[in-house]
Amino acid sequence: MRTTHVGSYPKIPDLPAPGRWRTAAEKLQRGEITREEFRRVEDEVTREAIADQVEAGLDMVTDGQIRWEDGQTYFARRMSGFSIDGLQRWFDTNVYYRQPVAEGPVAWREAITVEDYRFARAHSPKPVRPVVTGPYTLARLSQNRYYRSFGEFVLALARALNQELHALDAEAPPLVQVDEPAILHHREDLPLFREATAALLEGVRSPVALYTYFGDARGLLSAFAEMPFHAVGLDFVAGPRNWEVLEAEGFPADRRLGFGILDARNTRLETVDEVLRALDRLSRVVSLDRVDLGPSAGLEFLPRRAAKAKLVRLAEVKRAALEVTR
Amino acid sequence: MSELPLFPTTTVGSFPKPPYLLEARRKRLRGQIEPEELRKLEEQATREWIQRQEELGLDVLVDGEMYRGDMVAYFADEMEGFAIAGLVRSYGNRYYPKPVVTGPVGRKRPITVDWFRFAQSLTGKPVKGMLTGPYTIAEWSFNEYYPTRRELVMELARAIHEEAVDLERAGARFIQIDEPAIHTRPDEDFELAREAMEIVTDGLGAYTITHVCYGDVPRIYPRMLDLPVRQIDLALKNEDFALLEVFRKHPFTKDIGLGVIDAHSHRVESPEEVLDGIRRSLAVFAPEQVYVSPDCGLKTRTTEEAVGKLRSMVEGARRAREELRSGTLAPR
Repeated sequence: MRTTHVGSYPKIPDLPAPGRWRTAAEKLQRGEITREEFRRVEDEVTREAIADQVEAGLDMVTDGQIRWEDGQTYFARRMSGFSIDGLQRWFDTNVYYRQPVAEGPVAWREAITVEDYRFARAHSPKPVRPVVTGPYTLARLSQNRYYRSFGEFVLALARALNQELHALDAEAPPLVQVDEPAILHHREDLPLFREATAALLEGVRSPVALYTYFGDARGLLSAFAEMPFHAVGLDFVAGPRNWEVLEAEGFPADRRLGFGILDARNTRLETVDEVLRALDRLSRVVSLDRVDLGPSAGLEFLPRRAAKAKLVRLAEVKRAALEVTR
Repeated sequence: MSELPLFPTTTVGSFPKPPYLLEARRKRLRGQIEPEELRKLEEQATREWIQRQEELGLDVLVDGEMYRGDMVAYFADEMEGFAIAGLVRSYGNRYYPKPVVTGPVGRKRPITVDWFRFAQSLTGKPVKGMLTGPYTIAEWSFNEYYPTRRELVMELARAIHEEAVDLERAGARFIQIDEPAIHTRPDEDFELAREAMEIVTDGLGAYTITHVCYGDVPRIYPRMLDLPVRQIDLALKNEDFALLEVFRKHPFTKDIGLGVIDAHSHRVESPEEVLDGIRRSLAVFAPEQVYVSPDCGLKTRTTEEAVGKLRSMVEGARRAREELRSGTLAPR
């Protein structure tokens, strides 16, 4: 079993510590610092986010997505064909994102995540997983003013993001995480999703994990398991029915399961026993050596102290689980 | 409300705090001034805003919320069962203090009543009692105590109901219960939010209002009309009155708080623009249904912007009244 983070991390520490990132973002807006100076602050905060994960004892980390304004804009603003519009609620959260609008053919122009991945890898003693928002979710959360159909839009994005995965291939990451929460709310689009996944993964050499959250994979899990993903991530907090899904449909022995079991959206800290019981139940369906234990989603929903506590708990659970099985 | 004119003008609740008050709040946080000193300045700022609203000619006033920071954290701070966890990002570099429910929630004492009394004592115009709704307080807090969201929302509804009753006893004829989070889970939770509102407004004689903004209003329409309030206040201006199309399909059976001023732009709208908004709205509302208001609270604007916007709003409503009297107000 591995412990792993799966996404974002709070950009500022809890009060009264100064929120350097926030202050720098304000200064950047007012034109008081340069992009370059802001990037250096992002560098420092990224190192903090990695250090928190490493100190907590995780086996695999992310860069905390410190440089992401949100999961859509971060990609759309560096692709051609998009403009960026007004604020929209991100799923059922109190987090908002600026909505990308496809005004023309969308296309990959330059590597988006590669430089950030290199930076994180250079500053982490533990393996780092880069995260890419998947084409289906990116299309769902955008507006389409160009393509005749939603399907065409999704497939165009899949081809564009395929180039991003190829760019990451050159770095040989241990795993690339592709986030596709939106498909959980549109099961009817499974055929399109399958087609998009084929385009997304074409010729990609790195192991790729499909991560979903904010719901359950009813009617989808078997299909996910047949797609050429190395791992599938499920949220067992916002999607408690994932238990039934998993127990009914089973899980292939040659895939890893991303077991999102610590609530990324609530400060309440799960007890070690509570998680051990969940792992015990899980072990009847999935061998624990194929489990990536993690939070249910990115941790930027929490104040930093609470986020760190969740990470520490992940490592504690793993230690306790090893004791039990010893 | 027989003494109110047609198209009564009002606002959504918050106004910008003057610089001296912002400074005093910072000092209070650092323990550099006493609560009494802060309170004096909050009262001074409230007086200034009541006076400004009277000068502008608004019909239904608010206290301006000079003493509130965040609309949820303010109530959490004043109630039992909450702790403040820390700052959480909502977008860009915007952060908000997100409370944590750590025990049974409830009122220790009336929360807003003193401020209501104070503001109402300064004016002969009606002042609205301003509350944050139970669903929004629950949704914008962490819950470490209640096993389900429903239990938390219902308990909060009872507390906010007590507060509404106390406001009414103190003389409030208008009570507004803000529910900007109401469409967070439109399918799963709307009924819960409606039931909670039923508890809040149960037995009230005051004219009740709920304000809903941001997010997918069409998703909860026409179910929204089941909310047990007299008026629903909505942001129409920032989407250029696109919601009117939604109301055309299913008649809007309550009074409408018609947002005719964009609360999040720096640009000061003209009276003609406001008049035009009212004209357009009369394609779907009867004149008697319409209260004229900004889209949202104005606390993020400068005082000059807020005053400019409200001046245009009041003037636009006045012209609409005149046109209607002279029979030239034609719906567009």
